[in-house]
Amino acid sequence: MTLEASFFAAPLSRRGVLGGLAGGAAALAMPHIARAAGDKPVLVTSIRSLSNPYHAIWKTGAEAFAQSVGAEHVTLVSEGNSEKGIADIRAMLAKTGGKMVLNSDPNDTPDARPIVEYCVKAGAYVCTQWNKPADLHPWDFNPYYVSHIEFDGVKSGSAITEALIKAMGGKGGIVALGGQISNTAAIERKRGLDQSLKNHPDIQLLDFQVANWKATEAYDLTSSLLTRFGDKITGIWAANDDMGTGALEALRAEGLAGKVPVVGIDGIKAAIDAVKNGEYAATITSDPFWQGGMGLSLGYHAAMKTFDPTAEPKEHREFYGRTMTITKDNVAEYIKTNIDAKPAYDWNDLWGRCEGQIRAS
Amino acid sequence: MATQTNSSSLPQPLTDRAVRRLGRKRITRAALRAYAPVAVLLVLGILIALANPNFIELRNLVRVANAAAVPLTIAMGTTFVILLGSIDLSAEGAVAVGAMVLVLLARNDANTHDFGWLAVLAAVAAGGIMGLVSGLVQTGLRIPSFMATLGTWFIGLGLATYMLGGSAVRLMDPALRGLALNRFAGLPVAVWVALGAFAVAAVIQTQTRLGRHILALGGGEDLAEYSGISPARVRLLAFTLAGLFYGVAGVLAASQLGQSNAVIGDGRLFAAVTAVVVGGTALTGGEGGVFNTLVGVLIVTVLSNGMVLLGVSPYVQQTVQGLMIIAAVALSLDRVRQTIVK
Repeated sequence: MTLEASFFAAPLSRRGVLGGLAGGAAALAMPHIARAAGDKPVLVTSIRSLSNPYHAIWKTGAEAFAQSVGAEHVTLVSEGNSEKGIADIRAMLAKTGGKMVLNSDPNDTPDARPIVEYCVKAGAYVCTQWNKPADLHPWDFNPYYVSHIEFDGVKSGSAITEALIKAMGGKGGIVALGGQISNTAAIERKRGLDQSLKNHPDIQLLDFQVANWKATEAYDLTSSLLTRFGDKITGIWAANDDMGTGALEALRAEGLAGKVPVVGIDGIKAAIDAVKNGEYAATITSDPFWQGGMGLSLGYHAAMKTFDPTAEPKEHREFYGRTMTITKDNVAEYIKTNIDAKPAYDWNDLWGRCEGQIRAS
Repeated sequence: MATQTNSSSLPQPLTDRAVRRLGRKRITRAALRAYAPVAVLLVLGILIALANPNFIELRNLVRVANAAAVPLTIAMGTTFVILLGSIDLSAEGAVAVGAMVLVLLARNDANTHDFGWLAVLAAVAAGGIMGLVSGLVQTGLRIPSFMATLGTWFIGLGLATYMLGGSAVRLMDPALRGLALNRFAGLPVAVWVALGAFAVAAVIQTQTRLGRHILALGGGEDLAEYSGISPARVRLLAFTLAGLFYGVAGVLAASQLGQSNAVIGDGRLFAAVTAVVVGGTALTGGEGGVFNTLVGVLIVTVLSNGMVLLGVSPYVQQTVQGLMIIAAVALSLDRVRQTIVK
């Protein structure tokens, strides 16, 4: 065993582990010894794609945290393929001998279970965000499954609805563009829309369509919806900013940009500029920069024994993170701190953005 | 497609009667195939207009034309490849590359370039290069078009993702945005560009040697080769031509959305292939053409516009599109001549 341990601590260990399944299996069996070598765990970010701005910012946040603690950082991209996402994580676990911290945005809800189980088996610390099965709980995988972070989609969906209605002057007709229907975020954001609409009888939901989170689909849908409802449309609700900005361009092609307010979620740059120009009533950001950094920070501090996840209350193990609504009132300030400069967050403030335990749905 | 033959498999001359019999049968089938899509388009238009008169408002017809601009341009390229009897899956990748080159070279919010219309030329050329690569891989390495273009699709996506740094870059050149936002004679300029692409494709198909050679190759590659046509050369040209159309489509898509991201082509391959097939171009090659595709694109666009107008549930819409492509292929296949399904 000691022979194996020194083998993995040697400079050639990576090639050795990759050399064969036997090496990989040995590495999986011996995480504690490998960690005893003393240096820092490898920080691993697993996200869906780099072609959406949201995950691209996520990665810059992860890199900022890695730099702040001087640890190696690796990004894995699933390209929307669950098998690839999980296989890449397993390969990283074998390569690092479990001496790693994973911050994962699982491609699909069921993926979270194998991801967590492989990490726990290898002795790697893991945080998940957005997607996990309701019966998978961090406290059942002590101490390795540190936390799961989500953002209250109902609250966000409702907050942009309120902002939209305010911009519409309290009355008129809305068309709504939703995300993929099987997706938790899409379902919750729509629920938020429905909840808010109940309180505003003068607002009519003309139609709800699905644009699959994409600008191109939102563009075509919006122009068809303009035909169907014409001037009855006085506001457009989109479940994300990609669709929101696509809808905005369709409005622009008809000379309606700035006349029909649009809202979305995610806080992408184009949406923020549109808020500044008065074409967009509001967007919400979950702050992917923070998500990318904090998901790693939680795992890193658990791995370095700065805190003991098992001693934390449940509302620190499964929690809603704080979001920020950007409207014309605060857009200038936001651009100054988060876009023109890279935000400087205190990555040691682990629970500063906790907004309570995730409710059982 | 096999090009290797020996003298014993040379086609035997047909008897007069056989030629006449073949000719008569082919003409009626051809006539049916040529007019069925037009009839479908008309019936579809009438049904939708009856259900919702807004459909035939001029404003909506302009919107339909605008929504058809990008698919039409892409489908022009795909048509030539399908006429060859090959398939081109690279459209989404090539469109992404075209849009990426345009946005990064024109005025944008990621770098300081501002090459104006030169960026358009570069974008179209980049699309052409993607097509050329598909053609070279296919003819040089003798890899089936399905795999070759699947490869270039992902090469294109990867390239666009990498060059755009993973985010959406916005197009800030007002003249280029004008392609989508300005109108000429009531129609957005993008529609005129797409019609221009259609005109060019029609001229190539009907008036040039390349057009006839593509049809000949699709009809029977060994025969065409015996008549002195170089299949490799025609293939290279056809794929490059397709790539040029994808480049133009990339320019139009970026100007419509005012931005470019790597997924700007998402879903466009399905729309283009559906349009080509629904228009009546045979997947086996050699039959159909760009006029069929124009009708096919209109059917697909009118149907999706119509389904929104009628308030059809979004989930049913996708199902209808899937059913449509299967139905179109089922109707267009000549099962008598087809003995093996693989």
